[in-house]
Amino acid sequence: MRAVGGVGALALVAGRTAWALRGLERRELARGLVQFGFGSLPLALATAALAGVIVVVQAALYIQRFGARAFLGWAAGYGVLWEFGPLLLGLIMSARIGARNAAELATLKVGGQIEGLRGIGLDPFALLVAPRVVAMELSMLALSTFTFLVSILCEAVAAKLTLDLPVRVFFGTFAQMLSPSDILSGVVKTGAFGLAISLVSTAVGLRAKGGAKAVGEAAASAVVLGCAAIFLLDFLLTTVLSRVLG
Amino acid sequence: MKRVLTFFGAPGVMLARTVRAGTREGIPWRETLAQVHELGGRSVWLVMSGMAFFGAVLVMIANAQAKKLIGNVAVLGPAYFEMLVRELGPAVSALLTASRAGASHSAELATMSVNEQVEALEMSAGDPYADLVAPRVVAGVVGVPLLSVLGTLAATASAVIVASVALNIDGRAFMDARYVDGWDLLVGGLKVVACGLYIPLAAAVAGLNARGGAEAVGEATTEGVVAASLGCLLIDLTVSLAFQFVRL
Repeated sequence: MRAVGGVGALALVAGRTAWALRGLERRELARGLVQFGFGSLPLALATAALAGVIVVVQAALYIQRFGARAFLGWAAGYGVLWEFGPLLLGLIMSARIGARNAAELATLKVGGQIEGLRGIGLDPFALLVAPRVVAMELSMLALSTFTFLVSILCEAVAAKLTLDLPVRVFFGTFAQMLSPSDILSGVVKTGAFGLAISLVSTAVGLRAKGGAKAVGEAAASAVVLGCAAIFLLDFLLTTVLSRVLG
Repeated sequence: MKRVLTFFGAPGVMLARTVRAGTREGIPWRETLAQVHELGGRSVWLVMSGMAFFGAVLVMIANAQAKKLIGNVAVLGPAYFEMLVRELGPAVSALLTASRAGASHSAELATMSVNEQVEALEMSAGDPYADLVAPRVVAGVVGVPLLSVLGTLAATASAVIVASVALNIDGRAFMDARYVDGWDLLVGGLKVVACGLYIPLAAAVAGLNARGGAEAVGEATTEGVVAASLGCLLIDLTVSLAFQFVRL
């Protein structure tokens, strides 16, 4: 019953956001882009570097055992582009942006400021929700390219350091056996995660009721629901994309 | 530089204070049990469903990779299972717990400190470290390993089902424990215990430092979740690298 209500609220927020796109508040959009995109850059790049090194360190075990050193570039690149890059970026951004979005909107809601906006004839969706959703989507798409770049560079360096694999060999199989469609799948996944995070967190934030306690609860449940949505979408998108692109 | 020092130092200081206060005052066991339920019982659906989807995705990705090289994904089964036990089961379960428990712990503690309940506790001769932080830390150290065992089981089960049903191969290869030895269990165990220790500490640092009104609660929650998630990734990498260097 609660799940149905949640999906309904999400659909309502998505619909009203799409409707409000025409009257999008430009200044709020710019603020969102700076905050979500530029502000998350250090965190996203640190996550990307960690993801790259972790994938190589794990793959190194099997590469040594099966003696397939030359294929590391392809295997590690595939792992980061298809799964670990988008997934880890999504989880970290759900923690950072999802929680913050929900907390900000819940603070406004709890303080009665959303009612105030409605009272003076302004649409809170055009003013608060739509700019956040658009800014999050653009930021995630932009961050995904940086993430992939950094994590693949880190993979090459980690392969050189742990397995003593020449960087040229790493990028040899990487370039030979991966195609642009693999990069596209990573970007599509990241974009979908970004949309899910922003919609879920704004929907949760707007439903908050109570005092300071409600703000904390909204932020916490935005993170949890965002994570659940990411894992579900990851499964669905992998199924669809591997049919379409594979 | 200051932020990096805070990131590593503050949880360390928090741990030292909690251990000192916990040994001096004793840990309230009833509260600890409640926290185990809060962290474990209420995260279990998130961890298990997330890990089930994750296991299914991994099998599909392994299948796509195997198609290019050897043609038969079942060969990868035992290696896949070892990787799940050693690396992905602990890491992803801990990450999921970090977002669930990190957020709710820091939100709770931030609400308490904003409403001056922590000061009220001190006024009535309670110790916030012993009464609030220590039960959460114990719950994390107990709960996160249990959750990661359940998560790994869920991922394995869904991998076997997806391999048998969707890919038409013998799915039992994905639960073949041929390569799993004591070292893999040790690496996985170390990761989850360290994450279980780190998540409540990071959340407590963010939560107890919150000052202000409703806005501060939101900020503290964000900070706690981000620190807990990033810390889990770092712990995972550190343990993996350490064992990689000694070749075990």
